[in-house]
Amino acid sequence: MSFVVRRRVASTVTYVLLGLFSIYCLFPVAWMVSTAIKPASQVRTDHPSFFTGQPTLINFLTVLEHSQYLMYARNSLIVSVFTTLLSLTISVFAAYAIVRLSQAPGVRQLGSLLLVSQATPPVLLVIPIFFIMSDMNLLNTYFGLIITYTALGVPVCTWFLRSYLSNIPEDIEEAARIDGCSRVSLVFRVILPISLPSVVATGVYAFVLAWGSFTFGYTLVSSNAMRLVTPALSLFTGLWTVEWGLLMAAAVLNVIPVAILYIVVQKYIVGGLVAGAIK
Amino acid sequence: MGIGPQSLTRNPSVLRRSKVWTFIREYYVAYVFSGPAILFLVGLLFVPMVYVFYLSFRQVNLLLPAAHGFVGWQNYLYVLQSEPFWLYVRHDVVWTLGSVLGEYAVGMTTAVLLDQKIVGRAFFRGIIIVPWLVPIAVASVVWTWILDPSYGILDYLLKQIGLMPTAVDWLGTPSLAMLSIIFINIWRSFPLYTLMLLASLQAVPKDEIDAALIDGASAFQRFWMVKFPYLKIASIVLVGLNVMWVFNNFSFIWLLTTGGPITATTTPAIEIYQEAFQSFNFGDAAALAVLMILLLFVTFAIVRALFAIWQKVRAPRPIG
Repeated sequence: MSFVVRRRVASTVTYVLLGLFSIYCLFPVAWMVSTAIKPASQVRTDHPSFFTGQPTLINFLTVLEHSQYLMYARNSLIVSVFTTLLSLTISVFAAYAIVRLSQAPGVRQLGSLLLVSQATPPVLLVIPIFFIMSDMNLLNTYFGLIITYTALGVPVCTWFLRSYLSNIPEDIEEAARIDGCSRVSLVFRVILPISLPSVVATGVYAFVLAWGSFTFGYTLVSSNAMRLVTPALSLFTGLWTVEWGLLMAAAVLNVIPVAILYIVVQKYIVGGLVAGAIK
Repeated sequence: MGIGPQSLTRNPSVLRRSKVWTFIREYYVAYVFSGPAILFLVGLLFVPMVYVFYLSFRQVNLLLPAAHGFVGWQNYLYVLQSEPFWLYVRHDVVWTLGSVLGEYAVGMTTAVLLDQKIVGRAFFRGIIIVPWLVPIAVASVVWTWILDPSYGILDYLLKQIGLMPTAVDWLGTPSLAMLSIIFINIWRSFPLYTLMLLASLQAVPKDEIDAALIDGASAFQRFWMVKFPYLKIASIVLVGLNVMWVFNNFSFIWLLTTGGPITATTTPAIEIYQEAFQSFNFGDAAALAVLMILLLFVTFAIVRALFAIWQKVRAPRPIG
């Protein structure tokens, strides 16, 4: 009997704690959305409330019309999409080499090197990369940003893809190789179709990483026309110090593409991260 | 007419060429496939790492281009002597320890909670990942708003409950700023710990847990004696990587406080940015970066040594 009671108490405690942690996780996001849809008069008030009687999209419209948000977003989109495509292409082949062709001297070590490079903090690279980009006239260019973000993206993507690809049984490839398929067409015709979901998930991860990263977009870009959307948000913070409704609307706009993508492929990303860490 | 096997072995140069040729034939695919990745790794990670060493021994001031040149240890001396470098390192140690310990504690608690057979586990797991999806620039501006001293919701709620008589400027008060940014960093970073610790918990063999249950082990004993050993690898990976990341974190601190108020949250990473992009002293900034790398190496060497000693002490004695 006491065992049953203890079980019940334990499960109640579990749910209460999980509920509290959920509030902890969701509250800032909910508060952001709530502020973004409030009319200005309800944002700066002595009695703030979570709910508003008059939800409005005026903050979003103001951000889109009276700031260059769309231009920044377009820059980010261009940089993130090309970063994703480039990182994926490079990583698929690198991961394949690490998984299947590791008898070539040095290739196995490449795997661990990628892991180590993953630990390199951006701020230590920012000075030399700034100089290299400056010498090559690549500051304030899409190309400079894309190759920088690709360099940051390739290790993570290869790490993910390696764990996905190592789950593909080798026999599947044997048949294709007997038919005289080259390694390159093997990757395109056999490996990619089988692992499409994981490749897409990895691509999403690379996209989100590029979209959300701050340090390099902040330091390698000084011209307004080339500014990326995440650093631009910190610019708005200085510009609209007290216009919290507008700031939250810009923040929501920044999160939306990332959130949608993440939700779609969440399962794979979580799996990839965890597998990469444990194996 | 062809070259027979005997002539191949007799002529060393042919033999060598054929060995090289076989090597190329056998492995070129591997190198072609991994080549681009190696190129990026070398070009944008290793070359910059070496370049930062080179810059650290040079005077590189964008405002004084005429003065550029080799200066030996001067940048290091300047950084170590005329700046409160060790104060910033102390800030960094507080920031790193506070963040990583907090993240680990919250991550472990949530992972243990989610490891139970409960209804809606996937739902709660989905919610707990949310903070981690929010880009840091967004997280910073949202938390700045929540903590706003005039109209922020947190001060309002705390006043309503009666916990605080007056509003507090969380990010603007020197004694509170560090605590606040650590709290926000924990919020943003703990989900990764939850995911990885949860995955490791679920990999614990069921029969070991059952055996412990039959032996009458308490919930705490089951966790500590049976499950925790399986969390060791994930814990080491998580803590190791995060110490590295948090110790050198620039963006989060910069976005929340820019190292202020005054220098209350300035860490060497913040100092690197300010030296380089505000004072245009790239040589000094490079020296700071090298010092940071060395500090981390030393820290890891110490941690590894302590870990080795710890393992030796805990190792079971041979029987007999």
